[in-house]
Amino acid sequence: MLVRRDIKPGFRLVFWREVGWLRRRPFLLGLTTIVPLVLMALLSAVFSAGLATRLPIGVLDLDSSDLSRTIIRTVDATPDTAVAVRVGDLAEGRSLILSGKIHGLLMLPLNLQRDVFSGRRPEVVFFYNTQTLTTGNLTVRGVNAAVPAVAAGIRLSLRTARGEPIEAAQSDILPIPVQTHPLFNPTLNYIYFLLTALIPSILQVVIVTASSYSVGLDVETRHRLRILRRLGGGLWPAVAGKTLPYTIIFLLVLGLSDSLLFAVLGLPLHGHYWLLAIAGLLFILSCQLLGTLLALVLKPLASAVSIATLLTAPAFGFMGIGFPRLGMSAFALGYGALLPGTWYLTARIDQTVRGTPIDLSWRPILILTAFVIGLAGLCAWRLESRKRFAQDGDAAAASQPLAGATS
Amino acid sequence: MSGLFDVFRSEFGRIFTVRPAFGVMVIGAAFYALLYPQPYLNEALRNVPIAVVDGDGTQASRDFARRVDATSDVAVTMVLPDLASAEREVQARKVSGILVIPQYFERELLHGRSSPVALYADASYFLIYQRVAGAVAAVARTVGAEIETARLIAIGVDPAIAVAAPDPMPLTAQPLFNPEGGYATYVLPAAFVLLLQQMLLMGVALLATMAGIDFVAIGGNVARPGPLTVIAGKLLAYLALEALILPVYLLVLPYLYGLPRLGGVIPILTFAVPFVLAVAGLGMVVAGIFRQPLRVQLILAAAGLPLFMSAGFSWPSEAIPPLIRWVSYLVPSTSAISGFVKLSQLGAPLSAVKPEFITLWCLALAYNSIAVLLVAANTRPAAAVPVQPSHAV
Repeated sequence: MLVRRDIKPGFRLVFWREVGWLRRRPFLLGLTTIVPLVLMALLSAVFSAGLATRLPIGVLDLDSSDLSRTIIRTVDATPDTAVAVRVGDLAEGRSLILSGKIHGLLMLPLNLQRDVFSGRRPEVVFFYNTQTLTTGNLTVRGVNAAVPAVAAGIRLSLRTARGEPIEAAQSDILPIPVQTHPLFNPTLNYIYFLLTALIPSILQVVIVTASSYSVGLDVETRHRLRILRRLGGGLWPAVAGKTLPYTIIFLLVLGLSDSLLFAVLGLPLHGHYWLLAIAGLLFILSCQLLGTLLALVLKPLASAVSIATLLTAPAFGFMGIGFPRLGMSAFALGYGALLPGTWYLTARIDQTVRGTPIDLSWRPILILTAFVIGLAGLCAWRLESRKRFAQDGDAAAASQPLAGATS
Repeated sequence: MSGLFDVFRSEFGRIFTVRPAFGVMVIGAAFYALLYPQPYLNEALRNVPIAVVDGDGTQASRDFARRVDATSDVAVTMVLPDLASAEREVQARKVSGILVIPQYFERELLHGRSSPVALYADASYFLIYQRVAGAVAAVARTVGAEIETARLIAIGVDPAIAVAAPDPMPLTAQPLFNPEGGYATYVLPAAFVLLLQQMLLMGVALLATMAGIDFVAIGGNVARPGPLTVIAGKLLAYLALEALILPVYLLVLPYLYGLPRLGGVIPILTFAVPFVLAVAGLGMVVAGIFRQPLRVQLILAAAGLPLFMSAGFSWPSEAIPPLIRWVSYLVPSTSAISGFVKLSQLGAPLSAVKPEFITLWCLALAYNSIAVLLVAANTRPAAAVPVQPSHAV
């Protein structure tokens, strides 16, 4: 390999060589930019509604009275549920639930009105599908708001009819009202809860796998590692120059998708943007270093990419968004704690919706810093031991053919 | 016909001998079966910690807090003097909710007036919010009904009527299919389908990108099989593999993890046939687009999560924009998750999943036709194409 005399080996040489690689390898550039952006755009589109409203339910009205019609109107009027069909019997309702056309069935029994007003406490039953947990819970929330509201109206009218003043009657029927305030996400919007967490999870998979791939290309054989070291004028500047172009790309990707979240989808930023930015940088660095470490430890390259995929693809469940870490077993807690994404999401939720005060914000950021230092140390240890190994076997390496040279 | 059997035997052998394919299709299957369910195995949150700010400090307020603590959903772990200090504990993630019982709570109740309490619940995690809000609302309802009954008896109403009066029309919300609302029962049956798709998709695509080896394996003396035979033989091999793995994922694992299953075995396995064929066909098409094993792996690695979320399972399909919904039908998992969940978890008959079943057959037919065309296009100039190095990009 001829090096032109005016080019000095060093960090800048490796950096620009990597940039040149990216320009000549549309796949690698696409993998680190277009793929995460397209996947993030897809998820944003899926959750763009933010709230799931007017979910279809069925009604089996065996009473056909004024009261049953009032109940149906009230249920239809809640934001959560919409009465999509009237069914003739339970079997029809069941088959509609099985086919997925409705998510629940409200059954109003025969003689409902007569029995209510004669104090026989007839039962109104709502069957709902909890196999799809989100949808099931939303429909039951709608029905749970509507039916007791109708019942409260009846109780109120019974009391006022007996001459009780309306204020007294109101306090009688609800002795302990609960004023519930959802902290941090007052409208229970899924964009601020789920979408904002899904996007870094995708980025985690992409960064770890792409880093193990791009680093693996240069360290797979001793020979190539030697070339990289010569170009960089030492291992450290070489690895830094190799890594930095991707750090910049991933920061841009994260910045672009986050500005979309903040500007278009209205994600709040109640905390400190600079803490969020620091956490983002540390998250990207630790994912890159994790990928680098896998490429240094595992050979061939295909195995490193496979293991990177195996470790990160199922990681979302461990990061405790859908099912919180509070309820996990010790093993799942430990595995989750070893993922950079877990701590980045903690910091992210702190700084976006929660607006955590600074003195309580440091823990996830310090853990991410520890990740970066620890992983960098492990990578250094691997590189040093391979350097010694490479120097010992220089003669052997020199005779190795340029097999599978990169195009 | 012997050509078909040769292709089948060669491809089935390659699943176990080509290392990356074996890693994804067999080792990966074993690894995910153990790892993936771990976060969800406790099924539900119990004893979510909350703080109580008791501004009243009376018998009634302490009694109310004690009854909230007694539920299995929440646990009162802190009693704090004011809302500000409690909010700080929420920010520090020590507690997930604050129950504020205001001053004169007891006095208002004794005077027969309405005596509200306030609940601040952490909604940055929805499952936590649901638990806390549900538990406190239920306790307030029960205690409220007792108070109302007591008041009515005090003014001389017959006790039997007084008990009925607070709730003239009780609402029973009857959960179906997942009666405990367990998280593992909810997410695992669907996630297993997605895992099956991702592993098969990646394995098939890896094998297809490493073509060139298979004809060597068949042996030079046999006439090269036609494109239709090649695809049919490969599909048979994937069906044979999935005949082992799919029942493990959809029948054995749910049993081992204690998930309820209402559906019969026969409908599930019948439905699995077009699913496997569609995923395998898509795998060969993906291989035709990206052509190199590492590219295939890298592209498919991050796709799982978005595909799961757009399948209309964890987020209702009614809330997904129609365009995305239509495009998502091109991926087998969308129909397969819906179909398998209905068959196994809801105990639906095959007739209830007819749309999904037909969609999967259409996808299988379409993708495998493209695969046949790809093979046909590739076999003619194949002799001139050298075996490519695995990672040149």
